[in-house]
Amino acid sequence: MLRGMHLTAIGDSSMLLEPGDSLDPSDPDNYIAELMEVMQREGARTLMYDLEKVPLIDQIYYAWLVRLNALCHLANVELIVVNIRTTAAFSLAMGLKEPPPFKCSLDVDSARQGIIVSL
Amino acid sequence: MAKKKNEKSTNQILVELFMTQIGAITNVIDEQGEKIFVTDNLLSSDEIKDYSLEFMELLVNVLHAGDTINRRGMEYKALRRFFTEFSNQIQVRGGSLEEFIRYIQFLQKVFLEGLEADIKLSFDESRALLLLVAGIFNDISLDVFNVYLEEKEKTIQAQQDEIKQTSTPITEIWDGVLTLPIIGTLDSSRTVSVMENLLSRIEKDRARVVVMDITGVIAIDSQVSHHLIQMMRAIGLMGAKAILTGIRPEIARALTSLNINLGDVMTRSTLSEGLKEAFIYLGIKTCSADTKIS
Repeated sequence: MLRGMHLTAIGDSSMLLEPGDSLDPSDPDNYIAELMEVMQREGARTLMYDLEKVPLIDQIYYAWLVRLNALCHLANVELIVVNIRTTAAFSLAMGLKEPPPFKCSLDVDSARQGIIVSL
Repeated sequence: MAKKKNEKSTNQILVELFMTQIGAITNVIDEQGEKIFVTDNLLSSDEIKDYSLEFMELLVNVLHAGDTINRRGMEYKALRRFFTEFSNQIQVRGGSLEEFIRYIQFLQKVFLEGLEADIKLSFDESRALLLLVAGIFNDISLDVFNVYLEEKEKTIQAQQDEIKQTSTPITEIWDGVLTLPIIGTLDSSRTVSVMENLLSRIEKDRARVVVMDITGVIAIDSQVSHHLIQMMRAIGLMGAKAILTGIRPEIARALTSLNINLGDVMTRSTLSEGLKEAFIYLGIKTCSADTKIS
């Protein structure tokens, strides 16, 4: 099990990442290598990042997501963030200068049905 | 300096004066109340009498409560509360602040005239009484004015909220498809309120497409276009697809001259085109009732 997060294979070469309370987004180097290893081992093609328990996305958290997206790109994995909360979407949209590099979907079901938004 | 034992306080003098003239004062107050409020159908004659009586009682309670007026005392608070409630009622019934202030000024005048009539009072006593009466009625006028301002502010706020709600009606036009026609100008505060409502609706209705129609937007500047882009991004972050429709030629000209890049935004000419695009995105096919389905 990876530190600070739950990573579950959910079929169709997809994995679901649920960040835990102990995840430290300011230190991505702690997780990157291990995460890459698990995704490659599982043959993941899609990584769904569940933001349901993240009330606010600040610059540090956003930088972590961008870094994770870069990692996924290297691993030929598509990063889709799902279940973003309205407060987080609101604050992030207000602060963004460029569109985010990752894709978004309403929830896991929508993402699996291919209803994915690229900004 | 300590007060002599037999020396009366200003409150006591006012109470005595008040008691000797209570009948006359009550009649005058009733008469004036009738003139101001009954003529305009704001209060009935019985209500005027009740209010006058209550006012007298409360005032006597205030004066009896101590040698000096205790502005923090229960009696004084009750008197001020009485006037705020009274003025509230007048406002609810369509009365104006001016009418009520005129009434309060009249009450003050009645008391002051009562003082003038008593020739036994020394200059110092008259001065103290004058200050006392003026102080009480100034506080009352201030309270009434504050109530009026609060009510006005509430009304303005309610009207603003209503305008905001009605000028950006978010409608679920199809399962998972929301439409948001924007009319007028998008300033920062309106953007915030529209975005809050819209994001909540996306979450509640599990919307997958949002068609934003800006046919009703009269003018656009860099700030408005920035707000539009923020809204489109917020919709996208929620996982819903944003389609911008109704960009009129003048708006398009303004956007290009402002160097606003809407390259990442899906645009369609009209709301119906936007709706068709939403159907395509959701894999919904529409056909006429006559069409045979194979």
